[in-house]
Amino acid sequence: MNAPQPALVAPRPERLRLVGQRRQMLAVMHQRLMFGMVVYGGLIALIALRILYLAAFGDHAGRKEELTAFIPERGDILDRDGQPLARTIDAWTVAVHPTKVIGDKLELARKLAQLMPERTTEQYFAMLRSGKSFFYLRRRASPELVEAVNAIGEPGLALDREADRLYPQTSLAAHVLGFTNIDGRGGAGVERAFDDYLSDPASRGKPLVLSISSRVQQALQAELGEAMNHFSAIGAAGVVMDVRTGEILAMTSLPAFNPNVPGQATPEQMFNRATLGVFELGSTFKPFTLAMAMDSGVVSGPGQIYNCPDTLPAYGHVVHDTHPFGRQCSVAEIMMESSNIGMAQMADQLGKERQKAWLKKMGFLDRVEIEIPERGRPLTPGSRWGPFETMTIGFGQGIAVAPLQLAMGYATLFDNGIYHPPTILKVGPDHPLHPGRRVFSADTSYRMRALLRLVVMKGTGRKADAPGYRVGGKTGTAQKIINGRYSQSINITSFAGVFPMDDPRYVIVVMLDEPKATKETYGFTTAGWNVAPVVSRTISRIAPMLGVAPNMHREPNLSEVLPFVQEDKHSAKKD
Amino acid sequence: MSARSFGSLFMVASCAGAALGCYLVSLRVASERSALESVETRIMLAQRDLRMLQTEIGTRGRLSQLERWNAGAFALSAPAANQFLEGSFELARLARPDHQVDFKAPVVLASAPAPEPEKAPLGEAQPDESGAASAVPPSALLHEASLKTETREVPARTAVELPRTAGMKSADKPVTAAKPAHSRAADRPGLAAAQSTPTEPKKSVDKPALGNARPVTRKVEIAKTDPLAPLPRKHAAQPKESPPGR
Repeated sequence: MNAPQPALVAPRPERLRLVGQRRQMLAVMHQRLMFGMVVYGGLIALIALRILYLAAFGDHAGRKEELTAFIPERGDILDRDGQPLARTIDAWTVAVHPTKVIGDKLELARKLAQLMPERTTEQYFAMLRSGKSFFYLRRRASPELVEAVNAIGEPGLALDREADRLYPQTSLAAHVLGFTNIDGRGGAGVERAFDDYLSDPASRGKPLVLSISSRVQQALQAELGEAMNHFSAIGAAGVVMDVRTGEILAMTSLPAFNPNVPGQATPEQMFNRATLGVFELGSTFKPFTLAMAMDSGVVSGPGQIYNCPDTLPAYGHVVHDTHPFGRQCSVAEIMMESSNIGMAQMADQLGKERQKAWLKKMGFLDRVEIEIPERGRPLTPGSRWGPFETMTIGFGQGIAVAPLQLAMGYATLFDNGIYHPPTILKVGPDHPLHPGRRVFSADTSYRMRALLRLVVMKGTGRKADAPGYRVGGKTGTAQKIINGRYSQSINITSFAGVFPMDDPRYVIVVMLDEPKATKETYGFTTAGWNVAPVVSRTISRIAPMLGVAPNMHREPNLSEVLPFVQEDKHSAKKD
Repeated sequence: MSARSFGSLFMVASCAGAALGCYLVSLRVASERSALESVETRIMLAQRDLRMLQTEIGTRGRLSQLERWNAGAFALSAPAANQFLEGSFELARLARPDHQVDFKAPVVLASAPAPEPEKAPLGEAQPDESGAASAVPPSALLHEASLKTETREVPARTAVELPRTAGMKSADKPVTAAKPAHSRAADRPGLAAAQSTPTEPKKSVDKPALGNARPVTRKVEIAKTDPLAPLPRKHAAQPKESPPGR
């Protein structure tokens, strides 16, 4: 339409030129117009399509993001049965913005002092006049207090909600769980070891499941706490471990603290005796020496005879026994009566190098393998490790390990000799069982069963027996070093037990630090009198929970050891 | 004609209608989705409340608190090893039925010497297992009587008589002295062999001890007859029932 009509007459040249120019201009304009229209139409089409798309598939204005599941500020920690051990809750905080206060500051200070008496009126007044912009008055305030503060009606007071870590079981397994600091970061224990997992938005929705069983933990903690009070001990520690998987079912250190208010805990309470503390645990080490000797071929079996005099002079020292035999005695008797002299000879035959190699293999020369960061380094004679030290280590003196390590050693010994590193996480699809490594032969492991059962049936650990649960174990009484010398009266007593002994499933290790004698113990402070009953009571409580059925008719194969025990000896001792 | 001229209009209208329909569908979907989302939000809020309540209950009922209550009020303790049962047989053993004391027992005791009445109830307890409560008390009494009687001489006689007694069981009531012995023997399988040789029932075990007092026992036999009089009735009644049962 707009195209110029062909000229009917020959135009004048200038006119022709003009027409040509005009046509050109028009064409350019046309092109520009078309281009603009296309762009404009395209934009509109784009917007329309987008609107249609949004109408059909898009989010609408009221849609909230990430609300399909509840994700806490910090991940929960559960026990193996799903009971919460740590949770994050919304807590109220009361704060004040002094610059925004419009009422009478003195009056406000008086009211605050009345409601929150931890500060005086003067302190509140000074706070309000300080000119600073913000103060926390109370964190984790109770709803009643929040209501009362709200009723003051002062706009300068701020009531806010804040994520706060709550440990519903208070001091239960406090040393395992640890605590969080004021910023919500882990300060110790599992909270610190798994801080990233617990605070990462991607993973915190899924709770962290520990291997701890809160009921077992409670039984252990209660029984141990009672014994600690009864014997006026300064501390105690206990571990219950699954022999087959290395899972820690309960681990406690007393005195405990309340992780809800970690600021109030004393250093003594904070100290984790089960993993960080290392102790000379005495005779509980003897089964390891015997197992090493049997596996190395030094000892042929429970019937091998050693000469057990009343005292044994060796390498410029003298080894003593609490119940000296003064005769020839069998390995079974050495174990049953916890003879240092017999064990020292066994360790001497084993030799330093082999002993070191075994201890290394069992993990007694390194820090205990566990996820939580509080781990103690074992103490060994180091460069002074000579033949006499080999002897003393043979019966548990001169080497200091954490109680958890001792439990780990027993678990290794009775899991057919296979070492599984202890773990605080529940073994399952998320945390598969560590393949482990062989330390002792299965035969040695099997033969140790009857020997340790013998200790509980006829030896020093009789008070640890729980009828029907086939407890086996070993007592240990170690003298404590006070001012560089072994004290004659101050002990650390321990008991390492395994049950049921005919098919070992669980290990329990308990330890009392400096127990005192009482009337019922006839003045004794040895392990058979104070920690062994704790083991008996604890096992009676936890074994049914753990699915160990009592059976009065089952025992490990005691015919392997009983022929090597002199009857007159133990019947005389029973009296 | 008119239809064709309006054809384009129809096209436009139907297109508009279709577009509107599509839009309505999408609007409906969007509104459903938003409703779903609000439900999800409410679920989440409920979950949060649940969690809060669970936390509160868990905190108030924490294990150390339960332990304290238990120590103070309930005093529950862990079950002892002998409180666990291994199966239905052990459970059934706990519920052993009580045997009723037979009112006829005192009648027997009245005729017996003074010390006997105390023994009678004890004697009853054992036979209970067999289930024949009434048959036992008389036999218990008979037990002592027969001991004294001592069948030492009798054996020859009884051996001959035994078949008779068996036959009499069904018909004759008076012969009961031999009968009760038989019924007992049947109850105790261990003595079945003994039964055949001495021909006299289980009492054979007791015989050797009292064998010396033959003359005395014979006199006692006479005395027996009186107490036996009430017994035969019981026995006669029961044996009749028992044969079919066994």
